[in-house]
Amino acid sequence: MWLPLLGLVLGISLGLLSDIQIPQVYDNYLSIAVLAALDTLFGGIRAHLQQVYDDKVFISGFFFNIALAAALAFLGVHLGVDLYLAAIFAFGVRLFQNIAVIRRILLVKWTERGKVTNTNAH
Amino acid sequence: MRKTIHWRFTMILLLVGFMTAVQFNSMKNPKERDTRDIWAIRQDLASEKRFHSELLSEIRELDKTILTYKSLNIENTGRALTQTVDKLYRQAGVTDVEGPGIIIKVRPSAESVALGLPITGISPDLLTRFVNELNRFKSIIFEIDGKRYSILSSIRDINGMTTVNGLNVSTPPFSMKIISPTYADSEKIYNYLVASAIHDDFYLDDLILEVGEPEMAVEIRGYPERLENQFLEELPKGE
Repeated sequence: MWLPLLGLVLGISLGLLSDIQIPQVYDNYLSIAVLAALDTLFGGIRAHLQQVYDDKVFISGFFFNIALAAALAFLGVHLGVDLYLAAIFAFGVRLFQNIAVIRRILLVKWTERGKVTNTNAH
Repeated sequence: MRKTIHWRFTMILLLVGFMTAVQFNSMKNPKERDTRDIWAIRQDLASEKRFHSELLSEIRELDKTILTYKSLNIENTGRALTQTVDKLYRQAGVTDVEGPGIIIKVRPSAESVALGLPITGISPDLLTRFVNELNRFKSIIFEIDGKRYSILSSIRDINGMTTVNGLNVSTPPFSMKIISPTYADSEKIYNYLVASAIHDDFYLDDLILEVGEPEMAVEIRGYPERLENQFLEELPKGE
């Protein structure tokens, strides 16, 4: 539980301390990449909780999603259509769905645990 | 199995955190757009260059001082120090100075004399304007109606009288003296003042400015009072 959080903190501090700045032209790509990464992450957590987690799916999904989103944004820039909005929309919706599923699973687990402790107490 | 999952998540979260932080960095510091056109940039460049050359000449001067100190033996150190002090006094405007310069006379205009208008003193605003006009030229020394104008001097209205260094400027006619480093500089100042628009400002106040021809020797008296030192302090000895 703590190890992933530590990773997050480490990543953030690394990014802030290194003071890297992306040119404004590539802003879209990075924001989409962040969104794709978050989407994959929550997908992975959900899969883990539903006990259908697969390493290959997780890792390939992570990189493939990012690449796809970046490609879409690139295409959008060249076609003059804000295609990256499509990616943001898709990832956003999926993010919410995944989080909703995670919430439900956690709720179920929590109530079950409450029941177990209740039965133990009686 | 659990452990590898944790590692994967850690790596992914590390990446996410890094990317978010980079994004945050990029968003937080948008580079300010440089909207100067080529002339503005040239002007900035010119002012920087002027500053550069000023600094260089200052360095040269200080180097010279260091060299004098180094080349002197112990007996002459006192003399070198006296020289430096003299130079500083000269810079501060305490000593009498003689050099090439021009004499400017301020008189009431012919019309005001003909019409019998009362002669009023020069206003502090006009005098300040004139001093500003003169300050375009570097390292000039000047005197207004016998009062040495130094860095610490002030032009003020005290009870309705225009004063320089707290002393009244007499009602016109009176004269002002300017000393410049070289005769050529004096000529430059003369040419500038003859063509300057400051004459119009004087004429509005019923005064005329008579700019005299450059002379080889103009004498200006030093600032007579003690200079007040508010900010600099002497270091205790031996430190």
